[in-house]
Amino acid sequence: MEDIFESSLHLEETHFEEGYSDGYKHGLVIGKEEAQQVGLRVGFEAGEELGFYRGCIEVWNFAIRVDQTRFSDRIQKMIKQMEELVEKYPVFDPESESVQELMEALRLKFRAISATLGMKLEYNGYPKMGQDPKEMGF
Amino acid sequence: MEGNLAEELYSESLKLSKTNLVSSSTSVSKESDLHDCLGDDSQDGDGPIWDSSGDELNDSSELDREWQRRRDQHHTHGYREGITAGKEASAQEGFNIGFKQSVLVGYNWGVVRGVTSALSFLPDELKERLIGTQEKRNEFRDLYESVHSLSTADALRLFNDNLMAKKALEQRENAEVSSHLAGPQEQSLGSGRLDNYMGELQLLLPDSPDLRVHFRRDE
Repeated sequence: MEDIFESSLHLEETHFEEGYSDGYKHGLVIGKEEAQQVGLRVGFEAGEELGFYRGCIEVWNFAIRVDQTRFSDRIQKMIKQMEELVEKYPVFDPESESVQELMEALRLKFRAISATLGMKLEYNGYPKMGQDPKEMGF
Repeated sequence: MEGNLAEELYSESLKLSKTNLVSSSTSVSKESDLHDCLGDDSQDGDGPIWDSSGDELNDSSELDREWQRRRDQHHTHGYREGITAGKEASAQEGFNIGFKQSVLVGYNWGVVRGVTSALSFLPDELKERLIGTQEKRNEFRDLYESVHSLSTADALRLFNDNLMAKKALEQRENAEVSSHLAGPQEQSLGSGRLDNYMGELQLLLPDSPDLRVHFRRDE
């Protein structure tokens, strides 16, 4: 009897490892699929918001070229800064540490510009302007 | 013999349970099936182990059940830990794949949103100087309204639908190629509704050469 239980100790480990290895392989597959779905959503949302700012900047720049007198130096400078932020944004590097910081800077600039221009222009996508608890103070 | 005894006892069950485990993530649910198989196997095979007083058949199959129960227990425990570790190990990779698949589509769609929104919020007289004719202004306004009526979630759904349609089309094409039946039914699903909005904006733009809109393609 002792022999059997001695080997059982060894077997427990073996069975655990077999199970672990089966589970790990399965986990790799589902984990990747699940995370890919999340990535699709987050990528689309980040892309949309960034593209939205880019589109606004292009229209504003167009308007500045047509009638510069309507835009103060200060506003023009802010638009330029916003443009630089968009260009700096690492579109293909979601792991970059600067992503969050850049997007927040963009949101603030955008709100400042549209407020100064007296527009009720809003980014209605996700996350909705003003829903970010960090920005509630404004 | 000592060390091998236990393994011999249920080497059959190991093989059996492995095949079962591949097709199901819950090994526990197969326990009863395995026990039935095991009982038969051990009675045919290894025979008496420690004594031969006549009771050995019952004893050995009871022992088998115990082995099997413990085996499953440890396997399941390992499986649970393994699946968590595996998911964690592949999550970032999967996330990055998905992110890169969608970020440009979202970006280009966002550009359409941004251009039409910013234009519609300009003061009228400035808008008139930017866009020459009333007709064009109306077209821009119409595009803004249809774009604006779509939330990000709506747009994301359109993108997903398009992605699924493309996948289905690819699968069909693969099937057709392998059966030498490649039909002339491509294109129709190639561009989704989001692309259509991009196309509409691009059509409106040539009359405004100073409005430089940059859509992004793969780098």
